[in-house]
Amino acid sequence: MKKSKFIFLTYPLAAVFAALILMAFAGSQDKKCGPEWDVPAKYKTMKNPHADDASLERVGKMLYSKHCKSCHGAIGLGDGSKAASLGVAMHSFAEDKFQAQSDGVIYYQSFIGRDEMPNFEKKIIDDEDRWALVNYLRTLKK
Amino acid sequence: MKKYILLLLTTTFSFVLFGQDVEKEVDKPVRSPFESGYLIDNQTTVIPVEGTLEFAIQHKFGTMDNGFSDLFGIYSPGANIRLGLNYVPIHNLQIGVGATKKNMYTDLSAKWTIFEQTRENTIPVAVALYGSMAIDGRNKSVFGSEKVVDSKGPAEEEDVAFNDRLAYFSQLIVGRKFTHWLSLQAAVSFTHYNMVGWDYNHDMVGLHLNGRVKFSPQGSFMFNYDHPLKIKNISEQSNWNTHPEPNVSCGVEFSTSTHAFQIYVGSADGIIPQDIMMYNQNDWLDNGLAIGMTITRLWNF
Ligand code: HEC
Repeated sequence: MKKSKFIFLTYPLAAVFAALILMAFAGSQDKKCGPEWDVPAKYKTMKNPHADDASLERVGKMLYSKHCKSCHGAIGLGDGSKAASLGVAMHSFAEDKFQAQSDGVIYYQSFIGRDEMPNFEKKIIDDEDRWALVNYLRTLKK
Repeated sequence: MKKYILLLLTTTFSFVLFGQDVEKEVDKPVRSPFESGYLIDNQTTVIPVEGTLEFAIQHKFGTMDNGFSDLFGIYSPGANIRLGLNYVPIHNLQIGVGATKKNMYTDLSAKWTIFEQTRENTIPVAVALYGSMAIDGRNKSVFGSEKVVDSKGPAEEEDVAFNDRLAYFSQLIVGRKFTHWLSLQAAVSFTHYNMVGWDYNHDMVGLHLNGRVKFSPQGSFMFNYDHPLKIKNISEQSNWNTHPEPNVSCGVEFSTSTHAFQIYVGSADGIIPQDIMMYNQNDWLDNGLAIGMTITRLWNF
C-alpha cells in the first residue's frame, strides 16, 4: 500500500521539478537592463577631484575586486558569478555608451545605487577611495 | 588591578581627545591594514564602520594526528565552535557577545582602537585595547568538589559560586601596515581565571605576534603566534607541568565586501583567548595541529 502511494506521487513531482528547471533556464536568457538612471543634478555636475591621479590605480583595482567583481565580472562585462541570480542585467563598463557618462553620474550609480545595485556609502567611506573606483571603471573601456 | 586599568584608560583617553582633533583633517588613516577584525583566533586593530553588525562563526576540528582514520580531525569528537555577534555603536569601538562549545563559555567583549596608523606616519602604528570576560556555563556537577579553599587549617571544600566561573582576558595590540601587502601586529595580554585547578596558576601573561601577507586583491596568507610566558614571580606553583603550550597557526583568508573567510591549521583547541592562554596543551610540533575556520558576515545599518 505504502509503496504504491509513493509511486503515485513520483510523476507529478518529476513534472514540477522539470518545469522549475526549465523556468530557471528560460528566465536567465531574456534579462534586460534597467531603465535610464534618474541622476540628481548635484551628481551630474560633480567634479572628480582625483581624475588622472595615477597613485590611486591600485586602490581602485583592489576595491573593485573586493566589492564589485562578484556581480559586474572581472573586466566589467556584467557577467560576475552573482549575475545569474539577479533580476536585471548590467551594462558593460566597456561600452561607449557607459563611458560617455560623466564621472559624477558614475559616482551616483556606483555608491548610491538603486534596487539590485547595492548602496556602497557605508562600505566605501572615504571620498578619495570612491573616486579611485570611478577612475578604475574608466580603465575598463574597450 | 582595577585601579591601574582605570588609570591606563583615562590617561590614554585624554591623549586621544587631544591627539585626534588636530590630525584628523590632515593625515588620514591607512587603508585596511587587515580585511577583518578577526585574524584566525586573535583580534586585529581593524573595526568596521560605525553601525556595523558582525556575525562570526569560528570552528576548529579535532587534531589531525589520526590522519585518514578520522579524516584529519573532521570526524573527531574534539571539535570546538564559537558563534559571536559584534556591533560597532561608535567609531572604533566594538562590543560583542559569543557562545563557545568548550566549557560552555559565554563571553562578552569590547575592542577599542585608540589610534589608527595614518598615511603620512603622523601616527606610525595602530593601537587597540581588547577585553573579554567569559563565563564557564557548565553544570555544577562538572566542578564536583574541585573548589578547595586553603584556609591555613584543614582544607575545606566549597560549592562553586558564579564568581568562580569568570575568566578575563585583556590585550594591548600594536599593529603596523608596512606595505600594501604586509601588516604585522604585536601584543601583550593578561589572562585571569577566578578559579583554576589546584595545579594551575590564576594569572597568565602572554605575548602575541601575527600578521598577513596579501597575495591578491582578495587573498592573504596569515599567521599567528601566542606565547604564554613562564614567569616565576607570579606563579603559585613550584612545578610547571600545566604550563600551556604556545598557540601556533597559519592559514589563508579570502574576503569580499561583506565576508571574510579564513581557513587555517593551528594548535589550540580553545577559541576564546583566555582559554587558549590558560589551557592549550596541544603542541604544534607534536601532532597538535587541527584544521579550523573563521567566517564573518557584516551588515551595515
Ligand atoms: C549585487 C550585485 C552588484 C554588486 C556587488 C555591484 N553592482 Fe553595480 N549594478 C548591479 C546591477 C544589477 C546594476 C543594474 C541596476 C539597474 O539598472 O537598475 C548595476 C549597475 C551599476 C552601474 C550603472 C551601470 C548599469 O549597468 O546600469 C554602475 C556604474 C555600477 N553598478 C557600479 C558598481 C560598482 C562600482 C560596484 C562596486 C563598488 C558595484 N556596482 C557592485 C549589481 C551590482
